Amino acid sequence: MTNIESNTNSICEKNKRNTRSLAVWTSAWLLTLAMVAFGPILLWDFHKMITIGAIGANLLMGYKMIMANKQHLEDLDELQQRIHLVAMALSLGVSMVFGAVFGLLESSRLVEFHPNPSSVLFVMGISYAVGMVLAHRKYS
Amino acid sequence: MKNRFKVLRAERDWTQADLARALDVSRQTIIAIEKGKYDPSLSLAFKAGKLFNMQIEDIFQGDEDQLADQ
Repeated sequence: MTNIESNTNSICEKNKRNTRSLAVWTSAWLLTLAMVAFGPILLWDFHKMITIGAIGANLLMGYKMIMANKQHLEDLDELQQRIHLVAMALSLGVSMVFGAVFGLLESSRLVEFHPNPSSVLFVMGISYAVGMVLAHRKYS
Repeated sequence: MKNRFKVLRAERDWTQADLARALDVSRQTIIAIEKGKYDPSLSLAFKAGKLFNMQIEDIFQGDEDQLADQ
């Protein structure tokens, strides 16, 4: 056992660190998104400069979240990366197919309401989660 | 592709977690390789070869080798 010493920067520790970082930046992004959504109505009465500032903060947090996610994916091992790739492929495909037909529902007079593009985000999240479960099952 | 991960690990009395730590991969990856559900990359195969002090072909057996054996 002497020749396999524990690595202080092991994949497990890197994963923990990256997951924590991703959680922090995702929370910050969500918080600033909520500020952009509700701040003008509830806090600063549609003051343009404050709204622009909030949007700037949201974009910055979004950038940090994207970078944290990229770092998280890069530090995963090869099987974990493959699992995420399968989930991303499923998520992208389902979101594209669903998004394309969802946008046509109103013009084809199947529904009365105006389809909200942000609904695709839910489809994306759910299909990503389903993809992760399926890929984990395949390799376990 | 078949491999001798499980046997070689058992011979050295290592756990899956020990092997995962030594190869800097997750335990899930070791389990998938041992079960033959995942074929590792060339770099991971080389790493395993160096760790076990063996040639790659002594650890992994490709489909052609399996056909030749039959």
